[in-house]
Amino acid sequence: MTVIASYSNKGGVGKTASAVNIAYCLAKEGHRVLLCDLDPQGASSFYFRVKPSKKLKGDRFFTDVKRFTDAIRGSDFDNLDILPANTEFRDFDVFLARMKRSQSRLKKALKSVGNDYDFIVLDCPPNISTLSENVFKASDAIVVPVIPTTLSERTFEQLVDFFKEHRLERKKILAFFSMAQATKKLHGETMRRMRKQHAKRFLDVTIPFSTDVEKMGIHRAPVGSFSASHEAASAYRKLSKEVAKKA
Amino acid sequence: MLATLGHLRPALVSTALSKKLVGAKIGDARLVREGEDDQKAFTLIDSFDNQIGAADMALIATKNDLVLIAPDTAVARQDFAAPDFVDHMPEGPVTAKLGKIVNPLRRLLVRAEGTVSCQMLKMVDDLDKTVARCRVHSFVPESGTAACMIEFMPLRGYDEEMDQLTAFVASLGEPLGTVGDIARALRGPGADYTSKPVIAMTPDQTSFHVATDIIRAQIAVARANEPGVIEDIDSEFLHDYRVALRRTRSVISLFKGVFTEDQTQQFKDRFGSLMARTGQLRDLDVHLLDRQAYLELVPPALQPGIDKLFDSLAADRGAAHAKLARFFNGQAYLREMDKLEKLFAAPKRITKGPEAERPALAFAQALIWKRYVKVCKIAGLIDDGTADEQVHDLRIHCKKLRYLIEFFAPLFGKKDTKVILKSLKTLQDNLGAFNDYSVQQEALAGMLDRLCAGNSKDAIEIATSIGALVTVLHQKQTEERARVVASFTAFNSEKTSARFRKSFKPGKTAA
Repeated sequence: MTVIASYSNKGGVGKTASAVNIAYCLAKEGHRVLLCDLDPQGASSFYFRVKPSKKLKGDRFFTDVKRFTDAIRGSDFDNLDILPANTEFRDFDVFLARMKRSQSRLKKALKSVGNDYDFIVLDCPPNISTLSENVFKASDAIVVPVIPTTLSERTFEQLVDFFKEHRLERKKILAFFSMAQATKKLHGETMRRMRKQHAKRFLDVTIPFSTDVEKMGIHRAPVGSFSASHEAASAYRKLSKEVAKKA
Repeated sequence: MLATLGHLRPALVSTALSKKLVGAKIGDARLVREGEDDQKAFTLIDSFDNQIGAADMALIATKNDLVLIAPDTAVARQDFAAPDFVDHMPEGPVTAKLGKIVNPLRRLLVRAEGTVSCQMLKMVDDLDKTVARCRVHSFVPESGTAACMIEFMPLRGYDEEMDQLTAFVASLGEPLGTVGDIARALRGPGADYTSKPVIAMTPDQTSFHVATDIIRAQIAVARANEPGVIEDIDSEFLHDYRVALRRTRSVISLFKGVFTEDQTQQFKDRFGSLMARTGQLRDLDVHLLDRQAYLELVPPALQPGIDKLFDSLAADRGAAHAKLARFFNGQAYLREMDKLEKLFAAPKRITKGPEAERPALAFAQALIWKRYVKVCKIAGLIDDGTADEQVHDLRIHCKKLRYLIEFFAPLFGKKDTKVILKSLKTLQDNLGAFNDYSVQQEALAGMLDRLCAGNSKDAIEIATSIGALVTVLHQKQTEERARVVASFTAFNSEKTSARFRKSFKPGKTAA
């Protein structure tokens, strides 16, 4: 089981779109995927039309296997399940670590009810906190969308510094350019500079700025499900493949 | 949508069902089509005696798939393969399940064909989120009755919605059936062969009435097997044919006094001569089915000789089959069967004997009790030193006793007869094995004689192997013989005896 976190310490960069589309593409490839909506704003759940569950409330949630599995909802797509948003995410990191240990009781319990996922994709809240630090530790890859602007460049460097200070594995960071516009000179320059400076951190794929991605809110579905042949959809397919390979 | 292996809840319903479902409102949700209606050709596969259907399952073949549908479990699928003996089909999840329910001696056949259309339906909530799915499979066979099955595909976390959907389908008031019912509907009437038809009878019917009913049913069983024998589909056709004739002959000889002596003799002759035609082919079938077992009984060095022997038997079998098929297709045979069918359909021209009008129950009790007493008497005289003839005698009487109990079973308590037949079977298995080893040795000795008469260059090799085989078979026969006394002692328990008395000699227990 591979855990992929979609994370950004800056809002509005396409983090939720990445989580949703990576999860969708991996499931489409035949992998069994659970998308966990850890962002209290609940955007991932919104894109899959999943209503928040009452069962999700309460402190004991992540220490109780049954309560956890009962909260999981099937999406409209094969192989893709959703854990809807919850305002209470204490202990999620502990839970995640237990889920990964193959000998743990939790892992065995999940397996016995047919919940042995190949990938767990996390849509993380957009801040650096204890939760995110522990999620970084438990994850195999941290996918970081970066809009090629000066401001995003600074926040990305803050993230890399955070990893250094807390002795986290920097090679887990899989950054990629998001909402990139080929016509903007600034975008081109920033991308060239950052690729040079953070050569090991950046993936080859670039997600272009696309109205299709914006339309996800109208369709309430992943890009690939309503606009499979378009540029953005194929970029996300490429992204999910690269991430699956490196994670 | 993880782990949505659909559990089929079959519904024997009109094919208009999917029309009733599309657009239906269920609370806040509604049912809509998902994807196109997928139409393809299908065949229903089963053995001639419908062993898959009897196990409440249905095997459906389409161009690319073999799908085994069973109630309340996930559907098993594997790549298409032409129906055959299960052992001859490719390994897979379907054949693994079939191996447990289909007799390895039976070949699978196409029992119905037609077109099937599959329409996926989804139940969506007010946000257009899918909350449950079902797939409607509508089968339209060329003959037989159309039927459809609904495959409910629950979606994780939406159990309540799934329950609403199943409740809605149930509320449509369509008749529901089992998977076996659906298979039966698709096959259509006239494809419900069973080698053991249940013959309805009442205690007050005359013994003549019961006898002719049984014989009529047995003749029908024999006739149903003729095409399979002629086409040489599998060896069970001839086996069932012969069992039906043997049962017929047993009624004639065991139901003493139901027909006049002349009539009895005439029937014995007529059914006996039909039976005689089939003996050679059946003997060869039995030997050939034992090929592997025989090979395993002799050391490797002697196995090539056995193989050569069996190759020659296989050639003989081909000739014997052709001969019997010719006979079955011949005018003389068809006329005789036609006459017998008509005679038993309206048995006015059958002359009644002195016991003909006796009520069936009293008649059955007298026959069975008498035979039981005889079995006990013969068995009581057998010890480890008794001649083999006596053991054979016991075997034959046990067999007759079994047939009598089976014939009249509908008149007695199901549970009692079942227990009695079970204890009898243990004894019969022992006696049967003893007899089989004896028959096999005789047959092999006969082959040896034939071998000497010819001048095959393989004769010595074959003869050596036969010699080894006969030695082993004799050893095995001796082992079975040693168990006979213990087997009978086990059968002859106080309990079994009390059961026999209760069913077949009532009224005397209190005395």
